[in-house]
Amino acid sequence: MAAIVSCCPATSKYSACAVFHRSCRQLASGNRKLYCKTLLNKAPRAMLACTIVNHRQHVGLQKLSALAGITHSSLGPNKMYKFIRDETSGESALACSCFRLLENLELTCGVGQLVYETVRAHQKVYGAGSGCLLFLAGAWSRAATECLQKGVPVARIISAMSEGMDVCLDVCRKCSVSTESLGAAPAESCAATSQGLGLNLLKKNTAEASQASCHLRGTRQAADKTLNASGRRKIKLSRHFYETEAEDASTATQPPRRKAPDVALVAAGLSHGYVGAMNLVIEASRLQSKNNPQDVSGSTFDVSKVATCVLPGLPEENSCVLQGCVVHVSDEQASVAHHLKEQHLKVALINGDLSDTYRHLGFKRLQAVQCVSDRVHFLSSSKAEEWTEKVLTLLLNLEVNLVVVSGIASEKVIQRCCRLHILVVEKANVSVLKALADATGAVPVTYATQLSNRCVGAGVKVAIWGDLAGRQTKPSTAVSVSTGERDGLVTAVLASCVPSKLQALEDQFWACAYRLHHALTDAVLLPGAGVTEMLCVHHLRERAERRHDAGRSGGGVQQTKAGRAANPYRGLVMNLMAEGLVDYISTVMVNAGGVSKVRARTAVSQRLKNHAENQAKFSQLSFAGEQEDGSLRCSDAPAAQVYDGMSVKQEAWRRALDLVLLVLQTDAEIITGVGPNHDAAEGDMMLL
Amino acid sequence: MVKKRHNPGVEFQKQEQTGISPVMSRLVQKSPSLCTDLPLDNSDICTKLYLLRQLLKSCFGPTGRLKQVHNNIGGHVITTSSSSVLLPAISSSQSFINLIKTSILNHVSRFSDCGLFAAILCLSLIEQAKQSGLSFSVAIKLNKHLLGLCTGYLQQEDCGCKVKLDFCSSHNLITLARSIISSKPACVLTESEALHISKLAVHAFLLTVPCNRPGEVRLGKAVTVSVEGHPVLNSAVFPGLLVDAPDVSGIDESENMRSNPLRVVLFSASLAGDLSELGDGIFDVHPGVDTDLQILDRLLELVKQVVEDEVKLFVCQKVIHPVVQQHLKSRGVIVIERLGNPLMETLTQLTGAQPVATLHTTIPAKAYGEVRDLSIIHFGSRTMLQLHPPGESSICTMILCHRNETMLGELKVAFQKTEHVLRLTLREPSALLGGGCTETHLAAYVRHKSIQEVPETLSALGCSQAELLLGAGGFCRSLESVAAALEHDGGNSLMDLTHAHHWTHPADVMREHLDESLGFCGCGLMEGSPEQRRAYLNTNYPQFSPAPLSRDTAVQPRVLDSFAAKFNALQVAVETANLALDVRYLVQDIN
Repeated sequence: MAAIVSCCPATSKYSACAVFHRSCRQLASGNRKLYCKTLLNKAPRAMLACTIVNHRQHVGLQKLSALAGITHSSLGPNKMYKFIRDETSGESALACSCFRLLENLELTCGVGQLVYETVRAHQKVYGAGSGCLLFLAGAWSRAATECLQKGVPVARIISAMSEGMDVCLDVCRKCSVSTESLGAAPAESCAATSQGLGLNLLKKNTAEASQASCHLRGTRQAADKTLNASGRRKIKLSRHFYETEAEDASTATQPPRRKAPDVALVAAGLSHGYVGAMNLVIEASRLQSKNNPQDVSGSTFDVSKVATCVLPGLPEENSCVLQGCVVHVSDEQASVAHHLKEQHLKVALINGDLSDTYRHLGFKRLQAVQCVSDRVHFLSSSKAEEWTEKVLTLLLNLEVNLVVVSGIASEKVIQRCCRLHILVVEKANVSVLKALADATGAVPVTYATQLSNRCVGAGVKVAIWGDLAGRQTKPSTAVSVSTGERDGLVTAVLASCVPSKLQALEDQFWACAYRLHHALTDAVLLPGAGVTEMLCVHHLRERAERRHDAGRSGGGVQQTKAGRAANPYRGLVMNLMAEGLVDYISTVMVNAGGVSKVRARTAVSQRLKNHAENQAKFSQLSFAGEQEDGSLRCSDAPAAQVYDGMSVKQEAWRRALDLVLLVLQTDAEIITGVGPNHDAAEGDMMLL
Repeated sequence: MVKKRHNPGVEFQKQEQTGISPVMSRLVQKSPSLCTDLPLDNSDICTKLYLLRQLLKSCFGPTGRLKQVHNNIGGHVITTSSSSVLLPAISSSQSFINLIKTSILNHVSRFSDCGLFAAILCLSLIEQAKQSGLSFSVAIKLNKHLLGLCTGYLQQEDCGCKVKLDFCSSHNLITLARSIISSKPACVLTESEALHISKLAVHAFLLTVPCNRPGEVRLGKAVTVSVEGHPVLNSAVFPGLLVDAPDVSGIDESENMRSNPLRVVLFSASLAGDLSELGDGIFDVHPGVDTDLQILDRLLELVKQVVEDEVKLFVCQKVIHPVVQQHLKSRGVIVIERLGNPLMETLTQLTGAQPVATLHTTIPAKAYGEVRDLSIIHFGSRTMLQLHPPGESSICTMILCHRNETMLGELKVAFQKTEHVLRLTLREPSALLGGGCTETHLAAYVRHKSIQEVPETLSALGCSQAELLLGAGGFCRSLESVAAALEHDGGNSLMDLTHAHHWTHPADVMREHLDESLGFCGCGLMEGSPEQRRAYLNTNYPQFSPAPLSRDTAVQPRVLDSFAAKFNALQVAVETANLALDVRYLVQDIN
């Protein structure tokens, strides 16, 4: 089943080449190759247009789908590492997430670039969900291809897919669970919402509606009373429906003040298999909220005040979270730190490098300066000396004991400072600098010579991270810089014996941190483990069916005044979109539980069928593997509920669809900078 | 013809390329110039013209296809369908193609809209002239004559495809704006989003028109700021100018900032403390001299004067030395650096300040400007300072949001075009019916007129009746093919035989639903009815005089095109086509 996926149309030159082994276990089943080509350009002033002649075989969509294929195994809780090897240079990289994978590939084709730009923008804001984005982009591009093959006009595909996206986003809004209600009875609220989702059907049928309301129980009992009082409002129960009208009902049920969510519980639901990383995040959040008197409840988690520090060589159990900012320092600096510990220190913050040759950003150095002199001078050597002297005197006069530099400091200055018991800490994050400035009253300056009394802050403590001092073999020690209670800075120290795994650990930590951050900011969660997706599938299919009927019974009625006829392909497109989501769920199941794809799909469709027939609630899919009898275990009594972030998921879906729509509408590439003597072997290229 | 001569330039280049030492000089034979006779008979040029026409045609209109522009070595990818982005990316090895491209680009730079219209029309006219078999000189004369007919008709009061714009109501302005914005599919906007942006565009346009200023009226400016990653519906217009100010959070707004108006100084010279303005070269410096310190001293002296003159807002186009910034901030002055060239003119207009271009004189009092008020605005991750002019504001800032960079880029282009087109309406307060109706209407008019042409005009043109009909046929087919280019999904383009509006039949509608699905014409003024007679475009339908629609004020057009832009585009297209037809030889220096 080996598949060779050529990312771009066949070409004679390959510059980057990556081989993916899907893990040892799956190696036998297939390995994929992905080739990315580079066209060498010779003459700069010419244009090349690569036109996709046959619309029914949209090359762009095929490329998108091929690219998405490489991320299949990075979905779900059990991600598999990928080894990327460049055959020309012999270099290799270990990639553990979709984003890292794309980052390490040389994507030169237009679609590849577009994909990378989209994923990078998403990753920057959300720190997670790139795999989901790319998978769905691939799945929906296959859906779009199929539509094209069936002769559906592009405009129809776009309008139907956009409508499908609206349906999905609507489902997300309706089935979301607020973080504060999480501790109470997550299962019930989930049932209530998924039940409420049947509303579109039930609205016509009051009998069914009352039946539906009977399912509502648990925390909603108070609400039930209100509901039973007035028959019609039963449907309006769910706080996700008719928000304006149901206000009285919701005020009756909800406490007047916003209850603080149980961070640990929220985090546990969001760990998605990375329990270790998530525990660190929980600890970080705890430390942060402890330090912040306004936010004892821990209803927010500020990622900008979180830093990571990697420690190669120590076993992973040594990973921990510390207050303040943890940095590596040399032995010499460590002894200064030892000397300074337990003291309230005065701090100076330098936003730039600490060296005499450093100039601020935007400063243009003179290129050629000659010294003209009648005597022989040796000033150039002493200039640096003079500067160092000046800075040291200044630091001593200001009684500064700690200098935090965002850039690097010259070796000489560090040594001289050490002798004077001044600790210089390099490569501090800008956000760390800002937090320290806020907490101590120090003003960051660009040049050390700018320092004055006003710029110096007070009240910082340094501590040597003890565990490390004894065991470390490398001449480096970690020191934490902290203002104690005030700055809210926390650092996660990530240790691993395998250095190449550190990046993966760091990525996992950040993914968890961002997930928690966004969940607490949104204050809502989505039921995870495929439940949201299954609800979307259900509603997409339902919508597809409904419109189909309406279109048949009265085609004329459906028409708006603008003369737009009802989209005859809506049903087809939406069903294909739903198919993409089913594919997503089953792929996650395959990755998680070692079940075969076929079995996973059967399980999903069985679940969907049950739901459609008797309105049973969706229980979370079990990813724990198969039972003896071969059927998938239903997690009726789950140990822990799995949740997904709402904004991450919505944004990933939307971006995926945007990507598909952009590529779908694109019918040609204009490649600039290709000469007429280019080996135009490719049949679909036309020179202009 | 072939000249053998010493060409040092070429030789030197060669040596650099091959790495041969420049000591040895060589004689290089210069290649003879390449001359192409009758470029339009050249098959290579014809293929490329055809390819260009297909490329541009496929981009046309709201359902047009997009193009990915990239360099294939990992550079930035632009996805677009707008002529102002597409045409600069296209550069052909054939200067003939570049001639047409440049002409169209010139139109786009002046009128922003209708670039694709002009290009497609021009290329169709060339092709039609070739197919007609007329001699090119006759074709040129006829094209000029027919263009005259069109422009004359469009300028008539009772022109059937013109709509007077009424500034008392924003309805038509919004329609005009929406037509432009929704003709850019790469923005990926839903209908409500497109409407939102159109309303904002009109709002921004209205904010740039000063209301009660006596004497000479000067239009203000709408500045665009793009913010990636936010929903389109978050886009907003702010009066005044928004400038990025990442670290203004420290400003105490209550402090004397309220004592308005605030004095402003604006520097166009770099205050980075370097000597970059001296240019390249070798500098002789005495060893004991520290140039950096001396410049910094000069800067601080300058700043001292500024502070003494009670300036509260200090703006520099380029970088400001950190020491200077610190000095200013400690004295309660708000500092904005790296403003960038594009905003300088707007800020000069807003504050009335004169940019200071040197550090070496004292600043004259009249160089200072004023702002009435300032406030801090947080938008997403950005912190911006909103500056209000001391008098009436004619400057506004539009914050455009979109989910990703590609679509945001296109949205920005679309918005700027819209703003420009709305400004053009002040000069010529009318619009043309969109959706292809103007093109079909004009075609019917020209066809009708040319049949009735009297012998005098024929003799003045120096051609026969048959030639005129042949030329007019080509001209009308070109116009109709532009209208037909709006359809991309295999639908049919038609025109009704009374008012000559443009209609489309989708390819996928069943026969029995055809009547119902006809709905409205391209511009939305006419409603379909079963008794209407229609003909497919580019077929031999009988000529008729297109009747203007009786104006029912209740029915408003749904799609409008800029009059000024289309009027000019029509002229540019015909004149460029005539120029192209007139080219006899292409002489190319291939050295």
